[in-house]
Amino acid sequence: MRGFIKTLFGDARNVCTAAICVAAGAALLHTPAAMLAGFVLPVALLAGAAHLAKH
Amino acid sequence: MIGAIVATFLTASVEWVEAYTILLAVALSIGWWRAAGAGLAAIATLGVLTGLGSVGLAHIGDVRILQFFIGFFLILFGVRWLGKAIARGAGLRKLHDEGAEFAALRARSDINEARAAWMIAFNGVLLEGLEVWLIVVALGVQTHHTLAAAGAAVAAALVVLAAGLAARAPLSKVPENTIKFTVGCGILAFGTFWVLEALGYAWPFAEFSLLLLFGFNVLGGLAVTRAYKMRPV
Repeated sequence: MRGFIKTLFGDARNVCTAAICVAAGAALLHTPAAMLAGFVLPVALLAGAAHLAKH
Repeated sequence: MIGAIVATFLTASVEWVEAYTILLAVALSIGWWRAAGAGLAAIATLGVLTGLGSVGLAHIGDVRILQFFIGFFLILFGVRWLGKAIARGAGLRKLHDEGAEFAALRARSDINEARAAWMIAFNGVLLEGLEVWLIVVALGVQTHHTLAAAGAAVAAALVVLAAGLAARAPLSKVPENTIKFTVGCGILAFGTFWVLEALGYAWPFAEFSLLLLFGFNVLGGLAVTRAYKMRPV
């Protein structure tokens, strides 16, 4: 079961990284700078992938 | 649709190569017929899961909730694969070695016991296939081409099987990390696009933005890999 869940979602660090990036993108959509979300989310996710690569 | 099918085919290729290594190791102990039986049982289970997953997701009435849900799953998957590929490309982690995996499996004490070996093959193929299932259901449901995506996964299985039968050895020459990097970039692009669209964001170039996102992920991923190589962490 553990292998099943880890295969589908990854570990806790992976889930937190993705959730924080998406939450940041979603929050940005509710500000006057909403149009920047399409630039900020990809950059945040790339930074997330770089973080996961190191850990 | 073509992007979804290519992504499914590449994802499935990587996973089926790993599944083939497990089947080969088990087949040397309990024979090809039993090992193939375990593999087929796992694939049948994945087929049932694909059907259930597709029907379950199709019952989510709100298209935006479905799109967000699928997009987030793809981000989880894509960011993990891209992170792994960057780490391996930069030398922070060992490259996946099918030969070493095969040797480790052959060294297991329980691989010569028929029932245990059957379970190793079944569980191995099932776990490797889960990521294929995820991609088939997520990309298939969202693009309304589940059958085409499933067909791409089956085609990848046939290609790997043919290569395996020809080689009769672990398929260690498959450029797994390059494929993982490419698929990670593609899946992350799909996930990013659908999550923000589900939240009401209007992408500047509509679906063409998918290509731009893919290009950004590839160039960014290569730049990060290079930076980690030059300045080891």
